[in-house]
Amino acid sequence: MRPARRHEPYLLLAPTLLLLALFFLFPFLLAARESLYAWDLLTPPTYVGLANYRALLERGELLRAFRNTLAYSAVVVSGALVLGLLLALLLDRKGRLAAFVRSAVFSAYVVSWVAVALLFMWLLDGEAGLVTRIALAVGLPKKNWLGDPDIALYTLAVVSIWKIAGYAMIVFLAGLQDIPPVLYEAAALDGAGPFMRFRSVTWPALGPSAAFVGTTSLILSFQAFDIVRIMTQGGPVHATELFVYAIYEQIFLNLRVGRASALTLIFGVLVLSLTALQLRLTRGRGAA
Amino acid sequence: MSARKCVPASRRSVLLGTLAGSLAACSARRGDGTERAALWYAYGGKNREVLERLLRRFHSDPRHPRIDATFQGDYFESLAKVRTAIAAGAAPAMTHVVAEVVPYLAEAGALEPLDGYEGAAELDLIPGLAQSGSYQGGAERPLYAVPFNRSVPIMYVNGAMLERARLDVPRDWSELRAAANALTVRRGAEIVVWGFECPVSWWFWVALLASAGGSVVDERGTVTLGGQAGVRALDLWQALIHRDRVMRPPLGRDYNAWQVGTQDFLAGRAALLWSSTAFLRYIEENARFPVKVAPLPRDVRHAVPNGGTLFVLLRAAEEREKRAAWQFLRWMTQREQTIEWATSTGYIPVTRGAVTELERTGYYDAHSNDKVVLGELDAIEPWPWSPTLFRVQREIMDPLLEDAVLSHTDAAEALAKGRREARLP
Repeated sequence: MRPARRHEPYLLLAPTLLLLALFFLFPFLLAARESLYAWDLLTPPTYVGLANYRALLERGELLRAFRNTLAYSAVVVSGALVLGLLLALLLDRKGRLAAFVRSAVFSAYVVSWVAVALLFMWLLDGEAGLVTRIALAVGLPKKNWLGDPDIALYTLAVVSIWKIAGYAMIVFLAGLQDIPPVLYEAAALDGAGPFMRFRSVTWPALGPSAAFVGTTSLILSFQAFDIVRIMTQGGPVHATELFVYAIYEQIFLNLRVGRASALTLIFGVLVLSLTALQLRLTRGRGAA
Repeated sequence: MSARKCVPASRRSVLLGTLAGSLAACSARRGDGTERAALWYAYGGKNREVLERLLRRFHSDPRHPRIDATFQGDYFESLAKVRTAIAAGAAPAMTHVVAEVVPYLAEAGALEPLDGYEGAAELDLIPGLAQSGSYQGGAERPLYAVPFNRSVPIMYVNGAMLERARLDVPRDWSELRAAANALTVRRGAEIVVWGFECPVSWWFWVALLASAGGSVVDERGTVTLGGQAGVRALDLWQALIHRDRVMRPPLGRDYNAWQVGTQDFLAGRAALLWSSTAFLRYIEENARFPVKVAPLPRDVRHAVPNGGTLFVLLRAAEEREKRAAWQFLRWMTQREQTIEWATSTGYIPVTRGAVTELERTGYYDAHSNDKVVLGELDAIEPWPWSPTLFRVQREIMDPLLEDAVLSHTDAAEALAKGRREARLP
């Protein structure tokens, strides 16, 4: 379809483009420029070229933020997918009890991150927390869930999965209820058992739902901040320093605007690359 | 040159302008003509209640200006907000900051020199807690900071556990290790009571380092991290955690660790706790066992860093706001308020008159723990006037100490790495 006037599409796009330029592109370019300066917000900025990037590399901060964020995201995305799907399969039935459990599971999603973080800090206390008490009662060794650098990141990931699994469940439930019952009947007539029916009917039909859950939980995991700020402040020994928290720490705690801007820029490029990859994959699938 | 003038107006003003809108407005005059000023403070819990009580009393006098006090999170969150507010041109007239930060803010031109304010020379402050005694060469510099809530690190002792173990309060490092070992209670592999707890953070490491005869910065201003004394200090923690297994590993970061330590002590999960005098009243009021306080066990000498915060006025605020803030600051250092603040919290009274009055009325005879705290005035070590001190603390030492203690890396190597990082721009 061709527009009546050539400039009309651009006019319609203009408000969105303007907002994007003002609130995304301009700050991004500003961060690119700030990343070349050493500045603490109080004293005059000094041009340092690429020294901020070099410092982030030499001190290992960039690699650490990158590695932590990817590990956290991988666990959160896969955990949300698996748990959301399992819950949806279990609760895709009629009845008051199922409805109640669905509501209960989903309710975690609407609770604020800060409340969830505070609750789990209490539950996971290495000495007196409920989780520690239960672990001891069943003969498991005591773990410092938030204080051990080897497990703290995964503890945060599990808390995040608990928080968002209800949302994933709802999306999968919608997908399940969209599958025509006739497909299951046909599969059953062909002699397919429950596992075969899941593999050949349910899972292929849930593809778009899984893609949606994967994308939204990936976005959410890349944005993670509150949970880190409240539960670990990036520790122990930087083990839970995710990208967004590392940016916050550089600018607000270390007073280094330049390094924070450099991290922001790199983070922006990372997110753009992932978005481009995802678009490419989605379009590829659409074309097929 | 003011801090506000330091910031180029063009590109950064766009960024900062957006921040300015979200920060507290600092109008200096109310609609009815009353002078007012903004105070940003960093207390929660009991200390906040006491401050709010004092503010209500200040406001009950119609001649006084209105102080708009706003809670801004812990010390470091508050500092981050203050710094952003200064850059955004929305600075409050008054705030309070930890001692390590004052040189950095002063050298950045962010603080208002107070010498010219009415009565600044007659504040009757205890030298060890005032700027003059809190910093090396503090008396020779313009007056930038007035003590507010000043503290020292102190050892809290569960009196009942100590008595059951028939122990005396440990006075030096070897006695501390022995007492912590004797007080630790194990049930199989599980530790039910930790003999010793202490936040693994800069302030307590500096206390150990001072006690071992070192200082963080040498006379030429070079960051030495105490040399061999710093190594001894770190090694003590490592020994208590890994070799003796009598000290609970890091409790968390920043002030979370302090809260966890207090909770463990009150719940009877820790027998000896190093914390701030700031928690004295809270711990006394909430403990279900006799609480004793004692000076930190010493190594080669008895020395502690000064802690807590000092009031500062921000140069970027409006003149009449700063005058209103100064009026409140002076009122807070008057004897009655100083006494109320100190006796309600556990902070050290900051004026000589307040101490004299408390001694005269027999307060210290009735409150032996407060008397121990007061005795620590003689052991206070001044901080170096070093603008980099804050960076060394936040960026280098806090993570380094946590890492060295958790991964049990060689203390000398860890501190050598810290010194190298301190030399980087």
